[in-house]
Amino acid sequence: MKPGKIMAEMKVLLWKELTDLKRDKKTLFTSILLPLLMLPLMGFIGFALAQEQIINVAVVDLDHATAHNRLLNITFSSGWLLGNITYYLAKYGYNYTVSNSTSIIKNPSIDLMIVIPRGFAENATSLTHVARIEIYRKAGLQTTGRVEGLIYSIVNWFSDQLSKEKIMALARLAGVNATIEALRNPIIYTTTIVSISGSPVNTAFQIRVTISRFLVLALSFVVTPAASYVIDGIIGERERKTMELLLSHPVKPSTIINAKVIAATILGLITAIADAFGLLIYISLSAITYGSQAPFLVDPWLLLVHSITAFFTILVTVAISLPFITRTKGIRSASNIMSIVTMMAVVFFFTALFVDYMRLPTYILAPLYVIPYVHSILAIQTYVIGYSFQAFLHILFLAITSTAILYLTTKTLNTEKLLMSK
Amino acid sequence: MVVEDLHKIYDNKVHAVRGISFIVRKGEIFGLIGPNGAGKSSTLRMIVGLIRPTRGRIKVMGIDVVRHPVEIKKYIGYLPEEADVYDRLTGLEHLRFYAMLRGLVGSELEKTIEYGIKLSGLEQSALKRRASEYSKGMKRRLLLASVLMTRPRLAILDEPTSGLDVYASVNVRKMIKEYVGETGASIILSSHNMLEVEYLCDRVAFIAHGRIVVEADPDRIKQMYNAVNLEEAFVKAVKEADRM
Repeated sequence: MKPGKIMAEMKVLLWKELTDLKRDKKTLFTSILLPLLMLPLMGFIGFALAQEQIINVAVVDLDHATAHNRLLNITFSSGWLLGNITYYLAKYGYNYTVSNSTSIIKNPSIDLMIVIPRGFAENATSLTHVARIEIYRKAGLQTTGRVEGLIYSIVNWFSDQLSKEKIMALARLAGVNATIEALRNPIIYTTTIVSISGSPVNTAFQIRVTISRFLVLALSFVVTPAASYVIDGIIGERERKTMELLLSHPVKPSTIINAKVIAATILGLITAIADAFGLLIYISLSAITYGSQAPFLVDPWLLLVHSITAFFTILVTVAISLPFITRTKGIRSASNIMSIVTMMAVVFFFTALFVDYMRLPTYILAPLYVIPYVHSILAIQTYVIGYSFQAFLHILFLAITSTAILYLTTKTLNTEKLLMSK
Repeated sequence: MVVEDLHKIYDNKVHAVRGISFIVRKGEIFGLIGPNGAGKSSTLRMIVGLIRPTRGRIKVMGIDVVRHPVEIKKYIGYLPEEADVYDRLTGLEHLRFYAMLRGLVGSELEKTIEYGIKLSGLEQSALKRRASEYSKGMKRRLLLASVLMTRPRLAILDEPTSGLDVYASVNVRKMIKEYVGETGASIILSSHNMLEVEYLCDRVAFIAHGRIVVEADPDRIKQMYNAVNLEEAFVKAVKEADRM
């Protein structure tokens, strides 16, 4: 058959598929609007709800003392610490109660208790003892961790100040010239993050790498709607009694199936773009909230690579599932088969959040190369660190694999299989 | 159209069609009548090239259907018994889609659609509405029009008036008669409505257990079975086939 004729037929079939899709508001809503809104919504809801959580803190000062070290000429009061703790607890919106007894922790409404034990001020000004703050957290409450973090910052600041004063006092007494940092941290290390060519990279680059990991994870959200669409396009058309009339026209079954696959892939691509924009909105909202520069660091080329990878990832998913879908009788069994394939994809995309696939040893990576989703991951992971050619090769692998499977599947298709699958 | 010794065995188990042979001449309406499960739909699907015969030959206009299943569809229009519409396409879009699938473009396409509109008998306002809003009769008329508008040389109509009320059925029958008179095309008709078969068909074949038990014009069949109408003749023929 002439390629021009196939193209003309494909155009007609695609027109029908896309007109149908355009008017299917529910599918469009779930495929475009949800990925676009899901991530920002998750971030917004998570942030908003986290802000609304009520945490009740009890602060117990058992020391009630002010100590003075005559040798060092340093004074410290447990009241100063108590005052600072309660000031910051109030500033960050935590409820607090000052108590004189540690038995307050038995009160079910208290989530966390901070205890300044007896002898705290004495130990804090001492040259031989360490002063200790005691924190008691109720088990199973994640939010108390944030209060603990706040207390850690306050205590750390006081500890730092006391340390400086003690060191300076001792140096003064000894009549030596000393630098505080040289005494406290005589050995430190520095890290410089560099690109594959060895030149230092900035924060923007590191944010890009982090975003790329989320972009890989985002591929999970685009394969499912496209897969569902192709199942509905083939088995749904049979169940809605439109398939037999369609197949009675002078068009090859492979052309009909390919048109459905392309329509599904277009839907998937739109979903992928919506998904990427959802990620951008999420990053922008985070940046506005935390005052960083992240939204201005998003690389449009990375988004393009993501979209191309998403396109071929969807195509390969549909191609792998197609031989089973076309031989399955009902939508339920086809969906089950498809969910096995999409689950496999999701597992790999999830692992890419914390696994650098290109750093896996050859004896693990080589067998993994047969799984197309590993190439989807590597396409994005290699591109983001600067290996553009390798990224291109992985995308090429996806393109060739999906086209070959599609070709073989549609070659072995006939109208009888499509009409009467069991 | 020539069908010779046609067999269909599904999964090496079910012998649905057992050596059917018949001829349909130009301009003839041929009725293929049988009880449910007799092998009618399998036979029709094999003629259209939708399923492959296990054995036998089918030639339409001298073209072997088994060897050229796609090419043959250019000359055949087929209305399946359980065909339905695309819910989200309008009536007009249905006509356009099916006409374009047959490779029609330009003025030829527009003329075909015009003919389809005329055949369907649907109002312009109805044609612009989504087909999901149509009654069963309107859907059937739309689908029949989409099959006949391209003037196929052979139209295969499986229960064309199935589920339609009396008025709609009369309209469809009229439409079929007019179409044959206008185009000189051949029609294979499958129906459970014996009045319809008697009214429309020039020749009829009764099929039971995958075999043709009798084939002649309706009057001759009534004579053969000493029956007052085709329905009575059909019941007698099928009972005879059951005993064999």
